[in-house]
Amino acid sequence: MIHITINGKVVQAKDGEMLLTVIRREKIDVPTLCHHEAVEPSGACRLCMVEITKPEWDGWCDYVTSCLYPAADGLIVNTHAKKVNELRSSILDMYLARHPKSPEIRQLAAEYGVLKTQFEEVVDGDNCILCGICTRICDTMGFHAISMVGRGHGKEVAPPLNMAPTACVGCLSCAKNCPTNYIEYNMENGGLTIWKKDFEMVACTECGKTTITKEFAEYLSKNRDINIDYFRKCDECHRKELAGTMGRISNWDREARS
Amino acid sequence: MKHNFENLHTIFDKYPKSQESLIAILQDIQKEYQYLPCEALEQTSEVLDVPLSTVFSVSTFYNSFSLTAKGEKIIKVCTGTACHIRGAKLLQDQLETHLKIKAGETTEDMKFTLEVVACVGACAMAPVVVVGDKYHGSVKVSRVKKLVKAK
Ligand code: FES
Ligand code: FES
Repeated sequence: MIHITINGKVVQAKDGEMLLTVIRREKIDVPTLCHHEAVEPSGACRLCMVEITKPEWDGWCDYVTSCLYPAADGLIVNTHAKKVNELRSSILDMYLARHPKSPEIRQLAAEYGVLKTQFEEVVDGDNCILCGICTRICDTMGFHAISMVGRGHGKEVAPPLNMAPTACVGCLSCAKNCPTNYIEYNMENGGLTIWKKDFEMVACTECGKTTITKEFAEYLSKNRDINIDYFRKCDECHRKELAGTMGRISNWDREARS
Repeated sequence: MKHNFENLHTIFDKYPKSQESLIAILQDIQKEYQYLPCEALEQTSEVLDVPLSTVFSVSTFYNSFSLTAKGEKIIKVCTGTACHIRGAKLLQDQLETHLKIKAGETTEDMKFTLEVVACVGACAMAPVVVVGDKYHGSVKVSRVKKLVKAK
């Protein structure tokens, strides 16, 4: 265990764990757009920037992305130093210029006092901030269905060859974790369409409500050793059933006691 | 376009079957077919056991890889600073009208692909047009037609 100081408070940390993890544990709010606990940090959004220093640094400070900076003993961290806030607002200013229509970006920028960008707005742009959470999560899930394609101005997230990805099982992890809700999908008439690929959904055998895609259910039952029957009931019906089971158990208990 | 993909195996056999070989293999495929055909990408992914999404990501990252078939001869108009000042734009316009394609496109007969590049390192002879692997310096608009005479 080591000790670091965050905003004047001495806290314990594990040697080498990332500063952001410690900061979050201390319930200090540092904005991030590319961080997800399930995947390796990538340092893409630059918003988690903090000021660090050490007594022996002679008043010299550094500005680092906390998601990628390992905690070291004696480090003094300031998550909201004046310079840090300035850095964050200028980064958000650029985000706002690039994605003026994104409600998520606008709200975050507003929190840092940026209501209107000083740069020229990209009017016909999309809301993808290229944080890479979707592609990294897809890799972690083990599907590798989408990736970063192209580079520079033309960089985008896309499935290989821009065709419906064979590897996609329609788990929706990408769409549900997108910080700007950019990834579109369509759930209609018992089906799902994402990345131009159509899926059939499993319907609950009790109430008929759809749960997850057939492909995803098959994948989970095969690779995670879950009985496929589990997916044939929706959450609510599982819960209902659980109540019944619990009821029966307590009845037995009562009977056994009397 | 139909290809004979048997050569692919000669390419694959040259390298260890791991992700590290990816770029080298893509380079060889690009050399062999002048571009990266979809089937070749799929086979590369299978042989190296690298996800197709990764193969696609790498193929689209580097400018030296192309995903569309290119013409027999690639014409590069340099629009770097020196060439730009000495009238590269005029050469580009002339080539575009003459070949009836825009920069980045290929003629219908698959003879020529027109590309615009930034500084080919021969500024002293600006403006430069590279046809195939031959450099032409101090190109004048009137000479453009001759450069693509093969057409
Ligand atoms: S969280 Fe995005 S750079 Fe650290
Ligand atoms: S600018 Fe054309 S060769 Fe350098």
